[in-house]
Parts: sequence; structure tokens; C-alpha cells
Amino acid sequence: MKALCWQGKNKVEVERVSDPEILNPRDGIVRITRTAICGSDLHLYDGYIPTMEAGDVLGHEFMGEIVETGSEVKRVKKGDRVVIPFTIACGQCGFCKQNLWSACDNTNPNAWMMEKLYGYSGSGLFGYSHMMGGYAGGQAQFVRVPFIDVGALQIPDGIDDEKVLFLSDIFPTGYMAAENCNIKQGDVVAIWGCGPVGQFAIRSAFLLGAERVIAIDRIPERLKMARAVGAEVVNYEEVDDLVTELKWMTAGRGPDSCMDAVGLEAHGTGVAAAYDYTKQRLKLSFDRPTVLRQVIQACRKGGVVSLPGVYGGVLDKIPFGAAFGKGLTFKMGQTHMHSYTGKLLEHVQKGDIDPSFVITHRFSLDEAPEAYRTFRDKQDECIKVVLDPWQEPIAA
Amino acid sequence: MTIDTNLAEKVGGKAFSRRPATTNIETALTLATGAALAIYGALRRDWFGAALAGGGSYLVYCGVTDLKRPYQGRVRAAFTINKPPQEVYDFVRNSENWGRALREPKFEHDGQGNVTLRFGANDKTEFKSRIELTDEQPGEYIAWASEEQMLEHRGVVRFKKAPGDRGTEISVALEYKSPTGPISHALASLAGLDPQQLVREGLRQIKHLMETGEIPTTEGQPVGARGFSGATKRVLYHERPAVEVQREERLAGD
Repeated sequence: MKALCWQGKNKVEVERVSDPEILNPRDGIVRITRTAICGSDLHLYDGYIPTMEAGDVLGHEFMGEIVETGSEVKRVKKGDRVVIPFTIACGQCGFCKQNLWSACDNTNPNAWMMEKLYGYSGSGLFGYSHMMGGYAGGQAQFVRVPFIDVGALQIPDGIDDEKVLFLSDIFPTGYMAAENCNIKQGDVVAIWGCGPVGQFAIRSAFLLGAERVIAIDRIPERLKMARAVGAEVVNYEEVDDLVTELKWMTAGRGPDSCMDAVGLEAHGTGVAAAYDYTKQRLKLSFDRPTVLRQVIQACRKGGVVSLPGVYGGVLDKIPFGAAFGKGLTFKMGQTHMHSYTGKLLEHVQKGDIDPSFVITHRFSLDEAPEAYRTFRDKQDECIKVVLDPWQEPIAA
Repeated sequence: MTIDTNLAEKVGGKAFSRRPATTNIETALTLATGAALAIYGALRRDWFGAALAGGGSYLVYCGVTDLKRPYQGRVRAAFTINKPPQEVYDFVRNSENWGRALREPKFEHDGQGNVTLRFGANDKTEFKSRIELTDEQPGEYIAWASEEQMLEHRGVVRFKKAPGDRGTEISVALEYKSPTGPISHALASLAGLDPQQLVREGLRQIKHLMETGEIPTTEGQPVGARGFSGATKRVLYHERPAVEVQREERLAGD
């Protein structure tokens, strides 16, 4: 089959590899009909996530049709149309039983590695470094899905692939981030980053009853997309001081919750941003926590900081005195996908939201290397890329 | 509660932490090489010499600290398994499960006290020992000790009900006579052959099997060209096989 393989920093290639096979009794094989490039794939592309090996198949947002199941698979069957969550969970360990699906104990074959770095290991993820399990991902024509009974979300006929594809990651991720904001009546939610996760977080915050959402970015088309659903927007490059601006917009109270939907490759202005950038270039750090500092500084007293953005390593110059002084609550982590997919599918079916709004570009799998560049460099007003693994490339 | 793990009397009563001869040789070599490099480096009086002297001094340091180290390795590992204690005890007590179940390290037990442990690339590294159960309380603990040999070991596996409904706390505490000197221990750890890690991985696999019926794996999944750097990383990440060969492709789309 064809698959997109990571070959090093800024280098991905479509290669011919062998088809996946059932390796464990609870596995299933899915023929992928649609797959997407996630913002977090760009962290891999830019070489900021450790423990990648050349040849790894990327991709963790995908859906398709089950073509084969292992001997212990009971709930789903061959022929089912399914969306697969990016976190792999066993459904039987103490963490899964508490709905902490992304903390599953039994799905990371390289758990020791993550234990060395983080103390404990989370669940395995598709196509996201060997520390997270080293599973081959879904920017390919087929994929092997461990514990397919536990994760697969069955999609009824009559709904387009593109309406449900993002139930594999970014919609639940944005939704959980908004839920983590603990939104109450009259709340103002400020969201840094209007990329795909940010866009879903904005819509989810409104779904969950936020009074106002303030969206912060610098890319005009992304701000436009946020404004379209009623968010107030701030271009941080155009204001003197973001914290002062947010105070002004909230009549001195500050946003009730602040969300960092940017993560470790933040852009910013001023000395702090330059410091982070230099440090990352010198390989002294994997992360540029510019936005994390801002959300802590901007959040109101007793407010909530919600972090869907990914961080990888050890961060510094974090204003923890401010966090303590204001009594902030921090909520973060990989999304507990399995708790959200069913509920959000209902929202899609009822027409509360059409997740395909975020798609700006469609490519064939063969064009994926170009798609990565377009998405990373935000060329051509690119916000979200969807790939069709079976479409023949249009000859140039 | 005391658990008897002492076999010393039964097998001749030699002290458990006696330094093995191989280790003495390795320590002597480390000290000699270190001293030679340090002196040669100092005599060169240039930057390269300084680096050599630095490296040499470090080896001397390793050798000296090694002389003070008791040659008694310790392993302590514990997991919580979401199953009742009796079930976990029965699973572990049945030595057939060890051989069938574990991926690496692989255990074989012939029921007569002969245990073979295989690990490393292609299970080539083999370690045989003869053990005896020295104490046992069904559902609570199993203690064992090996006969005297190169890597003498003794320990205890305990089973305890976890608080709330969290299942069973299974723990292994064991001590062994370490045959490794300063250099070989570091190299073994790098290749994933550290006893602490091996015991942890063994316990982890028991947890995987008991909770889900399978051990998570990626062995045999599709990969692109690994190249030199990818293959090197596989060794460092303790992944098997270290070098993957792509099977002949069978393209569904073709």
C-alpha cells in the first residue's frame, strides 16, 4: 500500500510499504477513505517531538471501512464504516474504567520510554513517535487498529465522510478543551490560536453556553473564520499589550477562562518570544511556551487555564507566582476521546455543527509532502488539509 | 511476617554479596585503562590530551566507586492489576503461563525447578538457573531462591488487595549477585538488559494479559525505509526486531 513516511526534519515521503496485518486478537484493519493532517503532525514535521524513527508512518486523524477483524473482536464487524480515535485504549484497565481513556495502561508497547521522560506512560497513539507507542499511522491506504471494539465509532449511512472525519481528533479535542473551561452562565472565554482545534473550541464554547468568546491569532483568514460564528477577534500583532487589551474588553475582570490552543511552536512578539525562539534554535528546549505565559497572565482570579495545545519537554520562565497568586486551575492533556465521540456524533447528526467548515484544502495522498508544506507555512490561506488515499494525483 | 528467602544454608552458606571473579577483572581493567589514559593525556599537554585525561579520570572514578559497591543488585517493581488477588496469584503460580505469555523476557519453567530466561535480539541471550520455592502463602506471596551460580538470585512476589476496587497490587522484590562491572552494567542497561527493567517489563506483560488478553505490539507493522539513523534508534529504544525487513508487498489497490 501507499503510506506517508517521516524521514527526518522537514522531510516526509510517500512510500510503498507492506499492507498491515492483524497482530493481536483484538485488532482490526481499516481501509482508509479519508485522512487529515493535524496541527500536531507539524510538530513532528518540524522535528520537535523526540523518539521518531525514519520510516514511521504518520497520521492520526482517519476514518474508513473495516476490512478485517481479529478473533476476539465482537462489537464491530467487517464492512462497518468507522471513525477511529487517535488515542488507543483497552477499555479494561483502572484508567479506562474511570473514563481517563488517554491514560490507558495497556496500549503503549514502549511504556518504559515515556516512564523515563514523564514518570508514567499514557496510552498509545497512532503515528506519533515511539515514546507514544510507535504505532503506524493513518496517512496511508490501510491501517491496523488495536482494540478496535473499544475505539471505533460506527457511522450510520447518509453522513458524508468529511462531516465526521474530525471526530477522530480535533473536534473532541476542541470540545474537551472547552469543557475543561468549566463554562458558567455569563462566562467570557479567551482562546489563543484559531487553527483547527481553536476553531472547534470556539464553537464548542458557544455550544456549552459561553456568553462571549474572544479569539486571538494573527492570520486574517483564521480570524475571519472565528468571527463568522460570533467570536470577537484580536490580532495580537496589532495591539500594544494583549493582557491590557483583554482587561479592557472584559471591563477589568479578565477572561473567566483562557485556552492555549497553540502549544509548543508559538509565535509571539517581544523579548519573551525572541528568547523562546533562540532557545529552541539552540536545541536547549523543545518548546516555545510564549502563549502559556500569556494565558496565565491574562486569566482572571480563580479562573481556569485550559491547554489543548501540545507541550513536550521542560519549560522555563513560567509565571507560576501569578498562577498561584490568582488561584488558577489548570486542565490539560491528551483528549479522552472515547468519552466524547458518541456525544459529538449526535451533535453532527442533529445539525448543531457541520465540522467540514474548517476544511480549506483537499489533496491526494501522493501530494501529501506538498500538503505538509502548504499547511505548515500557512500558504494559500490554508487552515485544514484533508487527504484522499485512493485518489490518483492530478498530473501537473 | 517474615518471608524466608535464604537458601544460603542449603547450598553451602557462602556470603551472597561476594564479588564474582569476572567483575574483579573488569574493575582492574577499568582502573588500568583509566590511569593510562589520564597519564598519557596529561603528558600530551594539548586539548586532545585534556579530553583524554578527562575521560581517563572518569574511568578511574568509575573503577574506584565500583570497588565500594556491594555486589548485590536489587530489583523492586510493582504494578496494580485490575483483577482480584486470587486470580492474579493463580495466574502467576501456574508456571505454564510464563512461557506462553511473555514476549520478552521469555520464561521457561520445567516444573522441576529449572528456569530458563531468554531475552535480547532473537532471544539469543539465555540465562539458566535452578530455583527452589522457599516459602509460600497461597494468595499472598511466593518466595524463591536459586542455587549458587553466576547470577545467584532470590526474591519474593507478593499479592495484595489494592484499596477501593482497584484490583491487586503485585510486587516483586529480589536481590541478585551482579556479575557486571562498571562498564558492562552501563552497556547492558543501554541495550535494555538491566535486571530492574526486565522484571518491570515481565510484570507489565502479566498486567496486559490479565486485563486485556493480549500484549500490545507493533512488531510486524508496515514501515518505510528506516535507513541507518532509524535502525540505530530502534536499538536505543529497545524495539524488536532491531532491523525490520519489509515483506513482499501485496497491494490491495493494484
